[in-house]
Amino acid sequence: MKLSAHYTRTSIYITLTVLLAGAVIYYFAINYIAQQQLDQGLQQQLSEAEEYVRSSNHDPQQYDLDKDHAVFIRTNEQELQKRFFDTTYFNPKEQRKEAGRAVEDLVKLKDANYKVVITISRAGQKYLIEVITIITLALLTGLLLVLFITNKYMLNGLWKPFQLTLKEIKQFNIADVDQFKGKPSKVEEFAELNEAIREMSLRVTHDYLNLKQFTENASHEMMTPLAVVTTKLDTLIQDETLNAEQLAQITDIYSSINKSSRLNQSLLLLAKLENKLITDEVPINLEVVLSEKMLQFQELMQTKDLSFKPNLQPKQVLASKYLIDILLNNLFSNAIRHNNPGGVIIIELNREQLSIKNTGANHSLNEQLIFERFQKGKESQGTGLGLTLVKNICQHYGYTIHYNYESGWHTFMLIF
Amino acid sequence: MKILVIEDEQSLRENITNYLNVDGNICESCSALNSALQKLSDYDYDCVLLDIGLPDGEGFDVLAYLRTNQKNEGVLIISARNSLEDKLKGLDVGADDYLTKPFHLAELKARLMAVYRRKTLNTNNKLIFNEITIDVQGRTVEVNETAIILTRKEYDMLLYFIANKGKVISKNAIAEHLWGDEMDMHDNFDFIYTHIKNLRRKLLDAGGKDYLTSIYGLGYKFIG
Repeated sequence: MKLSAHYTRTSIYITLTVLLAGAVIYYFAINYIAQQQLDQGLQQQLSEAEEYVRSSNHDPQQYDLDKDHAVFIRTNEQELQKRFFDTTYFNPKEQRKEAGRAVEDLVKLKDANYKVVITISRAGQKYLIEVITIITLALLTGLLLVLFITNKYMLNGLWKPFQLTLKEIKQFNIADVDQFKGKPSKVEEFAELNEAIREMSLRVTHDYLNLKQFTENASHEMMTPLAVVTTKLDTLIQDETLNAEQLAQITDIYSSINKSSRLNQSLLLLAKLENKLITDEVPINLEVVLSEKMLQFQELMQTKDLSFKPNLQPKQVLASKYLIDILLNNLFSNAIRHNNPGGVIIIELNREQLSIKNTGANHSLNEQLIFERFQKGKESQGTGLGLTLVKNICQHYGYTIHYNYESGWHTFMLIF
Repeated sequence: MKILVIEDEQSLRENITNYLNVDGNICESCSALNSALQKLSDYDYDCVLLDIGLPDGEGFDVLAYLRTNQKNEGVLIISARNSLEDKLKGLDVGADDYLTKPFHLAELKARLMAVYRRKTLNTNNKLIFNEITIDVQGRTVEVNETAIILTRKEYDMLLYFIANKGKVISKNAIAEHLWGDEMDMHDNFDFIYTHIKNLRRKLLDAGGKDYLTSIYGLGYKFIG
């Protein structure tokens, strides 16, 4: 739910509650005041009635004064508390009963006691309350409507700078040269937000550049000593006095250097991938690249008497050529490395997926572990980073990679 | 061939100079950007080996200098940075090739010779080694004026060996040259043997001398 909707809902709830409570209080207050006024009127008429009785000096008569009913009843009671009360009033003109208000009191006349009851209509007061209620309700509805419309349109306008900022953040790419700008806003909060984001993006970009620098420097620092060792060995093997055993040792050193430089490159590539430092995406026709790869690995296949069985349909992806090369090299390399002599590699490519299926050991590998760093078979000569690279490259492009084993066939399936 | 090696790592610089200083090549070296620019303004070279990361600046400045002064030295960049951006930048600003550290000296020499050949293509597009004549433009090989048919790998290998004649080359170096270092060859170099055997037989069949010797299990030597 949007913030403006939240705000509208809350403000409408509060307004409704306050207004309803106000209306109740208002109703009672008006009722009370109206009653007070009626009672005052009654009191006045009572005084007039008493005056009339006293001055006329004869038995009080029933009379209608301004349609007010006054009734005199002789009574033996000596004491009667004056009281006001609600009753019904018979409107003689309209010939119907209406709500009424009455007062009763004791009037003394020549030792005789009369109870006097004066009744007046409450219709006027009821009408007044009705009118006031209608006006109040109309006001309430109007207020709610205005509130709703204001929130809907005015708040949206107020939030516009925020939406612009949000859009810019979504489009922010750390590798871009463009920096976060933010539309200037007169609203203090938004201006502050923009300022904070601008500072943050600058800091992040700075850290990113630092990291990139570090990645390059680390590569430099490690590769140069390796280059020194390699060239020293290249010089050393020119010595004709070296015997077979010494040369065998040197061969092993060559292999180790090769492995450590490969390892170093893989680690740097992983770091680059994790920091999303590789952005050179181009359209790549996978079926073409796969055909080239099969040719490239042909000799390695022949030494183990392996054969390819391809079934390639056209499929284009948007990716870095370099990363796709590494991805396929690792998958092919594994399929060859862990194959049985005379085995087969089935490569299937269609619009949805690429699967590389090879014959091999008669047991399944652990799918949870094989993609982890430095998890490799005991007899494997690899760096232990190959499948980790494969997984990270897949993640980088939003592909999923699965491993599956079924009766002697190991399958790596890549779903685009 | 006159070569200038610009590399700040001393032992690397010495090894490279020693390896290249044969067959009448003159190889000079320096370790910093300033001295490199000085040498380039004083003398002419055929090829320049350039390390990008120098103590007093970026090696790219050397390329800029060569271009503004219209000098036509061939430039081979040697860099520890294996980033595509650097590679493209280097080639864009006038380098002829880009080699990533660590590298084999044999690879360096072969690349350098290729750069030199490309520079002198108009005057010299035939590479002649005793009875072997290679037309580097048409990629054809003649032994005693008889054409022999080589596969692409055998042809690459022959050029590689001739560039490094008289030197022992390890199988690792040969494998990296022929299949690239991106491909993990699983320390299985049996297939190199097949290519060497075929190349040797084709040269011998055409009446060439037997130049290729195996150095125990380590590698091969093309006797020059």
